[in-house]
Amino acid sequence: MTGATSALAAEIQLFHDKGFWSEPLQTVGDAAGVATGNPITQVAYSTPEQYKAFIQSAIAGGDVPDMFTWWTGSVFSELVETGALAELDGLWDDLIASGDFSEGTRDFYKVGDHIYGVPLHLSRWVALYNKEQFAEAGVEEPESWNDLIAAADKLKAAGFTPFHATVQDGWRGFIWFQEFMIRTDPEAYRGLHDGSVAYDSDAVRNAFEIWSDWYAKGYFSDPRSNEEVADFARGKGSIYLIGDWAIGLIEAAGMTAGEDFGVFIMPNQDPSLPASVIVEGGPIVLSKGALDKPEVVEALKYFVSVDGANVWAEASGNSIGNSNAEPPNVLVAEVNQQVSADATLAIDRWWEAVPGDIQGEVVAELNRFMLDPTMETADEVMANIQELNAEYWADN
Amino acid sequence: MMAATHLSADNNELLERISWSQIEANERRLQRRNFWVAFAFMSPAILLVTTFLLTPVVYNIFLSFTRWKKFKGLDEFAGTANYVKLVTNRLFADALYNTSLWVGASIIFPLVIGFGLAVFLRGVALERTFKSIIFLPRIFAPTAVGVIWFYVYAPDGVVNRFLSFFAGGEVDIGWLYQSDTVTPAIIATFVWQTVGLVMVLILLGLSAIPKDPLEAARIDGASSGQVFVRIILPLLLPTLLVVTILSVLAGFTVFDLLWIMGAANPELRTLSLAVFMYFEAFQKGSWAFGSSIAVVIGAVVLSVTWLQALLQHRVDKMIR
Repeated sequence: MTGATSALAAEIQLFHDKGFWSEPLQTVGDAAGVATGNPITQVAYSTPEQYKAFIQSAIAGGDVPDMFTWWTGSVFSELVETGALAELDGLWDDLIASGDFSEGTRDFYKVGDHIYGVPLHLSRWVALYNKEQFAEAGVEEPESWNDLIAAADKLKAAGFTPFHATVQDGWRGFIWFQEFMIRTDPEAYRGLHDGSVAYDSDAVRNAFEIWSDWYAKGYFSDPRSNEEVADFARGKGSIYLIGDWAIGLIEAAGMTAGEDFGVFIMPNQDPSLPASVIVEGGPIVLSKGALDKPEVVEALKYFVSVDGANVWAEASGNSIGNSNAEPPNVLVAEVNQQVSADATLAIDRWWEAVPGDIQGEVVAELNRFMLDPTMETADEVMANIQELNAEYWADN
Repeated sequence: MMAATHLSADNNELLERISWSQIEANERRLQRRNFWVAFAFMSPAILLVTTFLLTPVVYNIFLSFTRWKKFKGLDEFAGTANYVKLVTNRLFADALYNTSLWVGASIIFPLVIGFGLAVFLRGVALERTFKSIIFLPRIFAPTAVGVIWFYVYAPDGVVNRFLSFFAGGEVDIGWLYQSDTVTPAIIATFVWQTVGLVMVLILLGLSAIPKDPLEAARIDGASSGQVFVRIILPLLLPTLLVVTILSVLAGFTVFDLLWIMGAANPELRTLSLAVFMYFEAFQKGSWAFGSSIAVVIGAVVLSVTWLQALLQHRVDKMIR
């Protein structure tokens, strides 16, 4: 594959693992061609595993693609440590000076003292809710933890399942775990990711207790569904906690954003905690060698420009966080407004924040809890995760 | 007589003219030419096998002695560290245990059911139709089979609906989400897909058995059971050994069904050696460690296959 990149070096290629965004990425690539004379050709890998293998072997072999996507968090730091990436500090200075992006967004791609990426997408993990069920149960968007619990009780009493969550595809187990953690003890949540807080600590146990209690009260949908998005559209759960990238998928399943479903940011259990939201920001990065190719840098600049962001938003329904661009849909616009009004803090998603070496095994344990959500299982899960965690931090 | 003497004298003269060394040189030249002709015919196969099989295998063995993880370590020699790590890894024991279950199940169930079907279907009306229907799942890709059966086993899937019909109440078993049901459920899918091939192979074996010894035994008054145990089964042994080898290979390398149907992985029950290898190499980027798992799988499979080949040789000799 590295040979292939060399053979096609004349054209600008964007390597990624998001096959479901191939078409919208190509739409932006074509628009870049019209605007700058340098079209981008997207090259998709079918699975993240194959894609990671390609990038890792390309870097180990010294033949790094000019432009490719990656993930934030610990895996981003590992990539930066290879020395293969270009520093994009100058580009970010311009983006902030123009008012297109905030410093908060920039810092998402900062490792050490430099910036190494721009957003492919910047998704907030929010609560999408079924408007019809809320209206039928007489529920408003909750503004506090107590409101949230009262809403869940009312929805339950009206015959609906308040929260929708599954273990589909084996990776979703962390979603509610991270939410309970940031709503109860965000400092402990951060501590989980550098080994300073144990997975069997009081803070984690507290999160599991709430989680288990909510399952016992029948707040959650059957975790065994393999059609999570479609099931939300079918009304199998009233509140769906997910990245705002799912809005387009829900619309494709038959609901209309703003009309059939709305959005709110989950409230904190402790009202004294600052407003916060989980953010997932997949980066596009450049190789060091790409800095010597003006056409590649121009193509990247187009991607993060207002025009590029608008084309991407229309094609994919996603935002890259460009403040001067049009939001991709009414719900993202609403989230933008809420985030600005409440000075909401961005918190790294668990998936990116946790060390990649233990990510899969830990999420398997969290899935196990969702399938048997008792405190007995929670104790086993916490002990198992902590064993993995302690082992990792002892070696690293 | 005169002519014979004359011919013999000519031959002697000819033999004197052609020395033995010349004959040997000619033969060697002929052999060399034959070798190169044969090599030319074999070279595409040699090239393909070397490029796509032997080189990757040798490279994989080399990788297993390095420290390659994620982006670095390809040039760092690790000695036997990866193998030591493998033996002490807590997941390795789980993966080995699960794989052993799979190997056992993939030998016993397809063999017993395939054998039963072959004996039952032989000579019955609509034999071809039944054989085709039973063989049909074999032509599907394992991933497609996994996806189909994932929905069959879903909480609101066909299996639970079927059971609900007979139970008179709602059956809501999470077949692929419970540690006690996930392995039997996936093994049933595996058997559904592989039993057709086993049945066809055994039918071929049965049809290759000569009729004479069977008739002779019956004339001598042997019962059907005696004919089966004393004549059919021994003559069928080579076929059964081939089926066993195929089943062992399938059991050791099972991946697709486990990956598709066992994503929930309750209590690590769907962690086979092949899944463990993929998990370490492709999800964690521990390329060298993953390579060492692949080497162990390869070594175990080779050993078992070699053992079975020895057995086959003995069986062949016994039958002859």
